[in-house]
Amino acid sequence: MQNNNPFFVLLACMLPLILSGCNTASESPDTLVQQEQDQQKTGVLLVSHGSHSETWRTTLFKLEDNVRERIIGNTHVDGIKSAFMEYTEPSIATRLKEFDKEGYSDVIIVPILLTVSSHSFDDIPTIVGIKENPESVEMLKLEKIERYTPEAEVHITPLLDFQEILQDNVLRRARDLSQNPEEEGLALIGYGSEPYKEEWTKLFEATADHVAAETGIDTYSIGWCGHIVRYSPDSTTTAVERVLEKEKRAIVIPALVAFDENFQIRIIGGGIEKVDNNQERVLYKPDSILPDPGVEKWIVDISHEYSKIIDKKQ
Amino acid sequence: MPKKSNDSLRKINAVLHRDLGYFFAALLIAYSLSGIALNHIDEWNPDFIVKKTSLDFDGSYDRQNVDAELIRHFSRIAGEDTFRLYDFPSERQVKVYYKDATLLVNLADGSGTYEKISRRPLFYQFNVLHRNSVDWWKWASDIFAVMLIIITVTGVIMLRGKNGFSGRGKWLAAAGLIPPLAALILQNFQ
Repeated sequence: MQNNNPFFVLLACMLPLILSGCNTASESPDTLVQQEQDQQKTGVLLVSHGSHSETWRTTLFKLEDNVRERIIGNTHVDGIKSAFMEYTEPSIATRLKEFDKEGYSDVIIVPILLTVSSHSFDDIPTIVGIKENPESVEMLKLEKIERYTPEAEVHITPLLDFQEILQDNVLRRARDLSQNPEEEGLALIGYGSEPYKEEWTKLFEATADHVAAETGIDTYSIGWCGHIVRYSPDSTTTAVERVLEKEKRAIVIPALVAFDENFQIRIIGGGIEKVDNNQERVLYKPDSILPDPGVEKWIVDISHEYSKIIDKKQ
Repeated sequence: MPKKSNDSLRKINAVLHRDLGYFFAALLIAYSLSGIALNHIDEWNPDFIVKKTSLDFDGSYDRQNVDAELIRHFSRIAGEDTFRLYDFPSERQVKVYYKDATLLVNLADGSGTYEKISRRPLFYQFNVLHRNSVDWWKWASDIFAVMLIIITVTGVIMLRGKNGFSGRGKWLAAAGLIPPLAALILQNFQ
């Protein structure tokens, strides 16, 4: 007898589908892990401060180019991008939206910042929705810096303040400029940070001590060029003059991530120009920490380390 | 030019000067006040009132022992019932976040700074406009700048005779050039 009840007809049509559904539920654990890993997509976002200077931005894009193959080749990372916290696009929000659109499940944020500051500790976490620092929220709004909480899980790595990287970098640059270590002192000029001045000073002191141990250039002073001194050249002038009170010549090293005309030329260069007889007594090259193989290696290593942690979590 | 059409041009000039002046008066004052405020950005915060209070948390603390209970204790001393989050900017510090305030505690000596932030009335709003913190406002700001030029030019040519530009006006306009020129010359010699 033929059953023409529509319910049974529908059931008969759906039976193979229901059975195939049962099949999926009985897949082996290995297959399930494989599927989860297929859904997992990890990206690396190199975040730096941002600058109006094209040279500065080019240096940071070049850094991304230099580490791309090593990060994607040796780690479980599927993509790498750069973002700037302020002044220019691509902003952090722009890049995180791109990662979301491309279906990334995890984004490792690698801050290309020397050591702790309000930017690293409060502003970047507030932009990506991890924190809500009241001052950052207000300032970001005023500065038109977009906040965006991505669908992907964000992981922020520690900063570059591993002393050896800065120590080796400054040592190499000081050696390049040095003519006679016995007659020279070192003036280290950095961006600085008001609430974390102690941390910045300790990092620079350790760097100067390393240079002293390796070269014999044992006189040093520290100067700032960022917001802490309201971008004034005077701190550079004072730092150089302090060295010149004891030594014949001062080697000035800008401990800045990349070259920016405003910092290396106008502020630091301007500060040096105010020093008497500076052409004879000051050794200065307006360069920066980048390019530096140590920084590149650190970015590759930290990306690798974080991608492994993310893999284990899955 | 016939006297009649000359008179009507003068009338248009006067009407333009008067009405544009009325229309942009409020914005002009807002920009001027904001200009003064931003000129002195190194001496004060023109956007926010940040009220800082120094606190003593009596003793030293080890980072390993900092937990939610201790943070609640710090918060109560700072006058906050609840906190949102706490984090360690360095080995020696812990920072606690509240709705519109933060507390930074130096663990080594138990000293702390509680900062409460609020918008500076009027100046915050004026600065939002002056800094173009609203995206499309830069176009309004451009129009305002062009209108200021028109207000100035219509003002310069409004009067005739000894009080007009050809009379005392040219001398005052020339005198007005002296301060900016002096500043530029001095800057060149620095």
